[in-house]
Amino acid sequence: MNKKHSPVLSGILSTLIPGLGQFYAGLRYRGVAVLLGMLFTSGIVAWYGKPIWYLAPVLIWLWNIWDAICAARQGRTFSVLLPILFGFVAMFGIGLAVVGVDFSKADINRAIAIMRPMFHPDFIQKRAESNQAWVEVMVPCLPGRSVSGINEENGKKVTITPACADIGETLTITASGFWPNTDANLWWEDPSGSVKMIGPGEAAMLVAHTDGSGTLTASFKVPTTATIAVPDVTQSPPHRVYLEQTRLLGGFELSYVGGRVLQGALQTIGMALMATALAILLAIPVSFLAARNLMSGNPFTYAIYFIVRTLLNILRSIEPLIIAIVFVVIVGLGPFAGVLALAVHSVAALAKLYSEVIEGIDPGPIEAIRATGANWVQVVRYAVIPQIVPPFTAFTIYRWDINVRSATIIGFVGGGGIGFLLIELIRINNFRGVGALFITIAVIVMLLDYFSAKIRERLV
Amino acid sequence: MLKIENLTKVYPNGTVALKNVSFEVPDGEFLVVIGLSGSGKSTLLRCINRLIEPTEGKVYWDKTDITAASPTELLHIRQHIGMVFQQFNLVRRSSVMTNVLSGRLGYANPWLSLLNIWPEEEKRRAMQALERVGIPDKAYSRADTLSGGQQQRVGIARALMQEPKFILADEPVASLDPVLSHSILQYLEQLNKEGITVICSLHFLDLVHRYATRVVGLKDGLKVFEGTATEIDRAKFKEIYGEEAQEVRATTV
Repeated sequence: MNKKHSPVLSGILSTLIPGLGQFYAGLRYRGVAVLLGMLFTSGIVAWYGKPIWYLAPVLIWLWNIWDAICAARQGRTFSVLLPILFGFVAMFGIGLAVVGVDFSKADINRAIAIMRPMFHPDFIQKRAESNQAWVEVMVPCLPGRSVSGINEENGKKVTITPACADIGETLTITASGFWPNTDANLWWEDPSGSVKMIGPGEAAMLVAHTDGSGTLTASFKVPTTATIAVPDVTQSPPHRVYLEQTRLLGGFELSYVGGRVLQGALQTIGMALMATALAILLAIPVSFLAARNLMSGNPFTYAIYFIVRTLLNILRSIEPLIIAIVFVVIVGLGPFAGVLALAVHSVAALAKLYSEVIEGIDPGPIEAIRATGANWVQVVRYAVIPQIVPPFTAFTIYRWDINVRSATIIGFVGGGGIGFLLIELIRINNFRGVGALFITIAVIVMLLDYFSAKIRERLV
Repeated sequence: MLKIENLTKVYPNGTVALKNVSFEVPDGEFLVVIGLSGSGKSTLLRCINRLIEPTEGKVYWDKTDITAASPTELLHIRQHIGMVFQQFNLVRRSSVMTNVLSGRLGYANPWLSLLNIWPEEEKRRAMQALERVGIPDKAYSRADTLSGGQQQRVGIARALMQEPKFILADEPVASLDPVLSHSILQYLEQLNKEGITVICSLHFLDLVHRYATRVVGLKDGLKVFEGTATEIDRAKFKEIYGEEAQEVRATTV
């Protein structure tokens, strides 16, 4: 508390130059801080701000006058909460000015269209078997280009009459040798292999039911889009009509996409394993070169230490995703490029962690083992290795854990693994597959997180 | 008989830790080195088994010149010199058994020892050593799960494994509370009575009175006192510990 300072003078000084009053009242650091804060806030507002923002420096200026008066009168100061609050608002404001919030393109229907299938992940399906047959038909009827309209195979017989027709004409299909009393789906396939519906309004599957002896009859019209993909109808190969029955066998099985997701997951874990193994091989020798306590003996080794450290820092600051892009160019698309990228990044990360373990080694046991008359190798075995192996192992497991996570996204740039599959599924709009994939990634990451934490707990 | 002649140690940064120190230690003695922190006690003990290379001077053990020993000879000499440390210096993550057995490394088959394979005989010897210091039940615990006093007992057991002719003890009780201090020093006293020469640095004068058969005082690397504990009067005490020093008693057991 100092009575010599005049509150009025202090207030006037801070009015003229923010912080000067505080400086005058003996709070020099506070004065400088207020001035810098004021300049910083004004600078930002002038640079990015909208008119309303000019309120912030004005309020800080007012606060500063009050603070200066308080400082001179009581020798203590007003709360710094207000400027901190302004600082926070300014932080958000800068971000907002640069990024912007734009909900104008948001579309709830689009969100639903992709979220709904994601909540029905295509992972497993009911076990079923199918019974399929087909028959050829010509569109339109042309002399010299006819088919029999009958197809017999595996005890099933399919007949179509007439064996040729024009668009919109009615065809009758008769099939025998199918499973009795079961629905069969019928669809059209043009010569290019694209599927057309022949059910009501050409929008649904045509369904027919077999009788007790496994025979069915159905009528339908040649779909209006049958020849759309046929460049020259006079040269067109025959179209096909397919019949298929399916029946459940009970139980569940992995779906096709589910199988690929599991394969991708396995590949991802494998990539992480291989990358981590490669990284350990390189990181151990490098870590000794990057350990200050081993390398500070003379200027030459210290120079090596410095160079190695710098290289590791540079390497570690490059995202594996970016390294992967380089390796995809060098060794081509696929998991191997991803492995190399992860390995390069991991060498840098592990070597740093290992070297810190080596730097933190306790010299006491080394001295004690030397004192027993042990030779150099025995000293390393009994005093050094027990100290470094557990933390090395813990860091390695941690790195593998990180590598699995990185490996899931490294496929985005063609580095193989589950990310590669994810991009593919998104491109073909298979969001049920995407859902299955997300669940798999989440489960892997959670399990890994849990077990690697458990193991590390035991080691350290 | 250990004979130290004109021992001088200058560290690379210029610190002179020992200046021309000479004294003799007849077999069977319990010699205590006293002095302030930084007076050169630790350096002196480490120069004897050359964990620190002396700059000048000689250390003779009977007829052997330790300071002139070749690296191989030095390992052989260290094999017979047990050492106990202030911070115990156990390998914290290894078992007590491995720590005790490591005292035997100088005798062991180098190849088998690297695999941590030890003959049954050595394991028995290690158990006996642990029984002597009263903690056979801790043999397979991790060293860092033991209390300070127990860890120092493991340290003594490790030194015992060397079948030492003498033991260097660098502030063996400075990290322990006073009651434990006596228990640890009593083990060393017992060994001393069995014929092992002990060279021990200590802080507390009452411990010096209780255990030392002879005392060497160091100040700033110089030997300022040599004699029995009873000869340390107030004047000598001030000379060793400086004018402002007050005597602190560890405990009276």
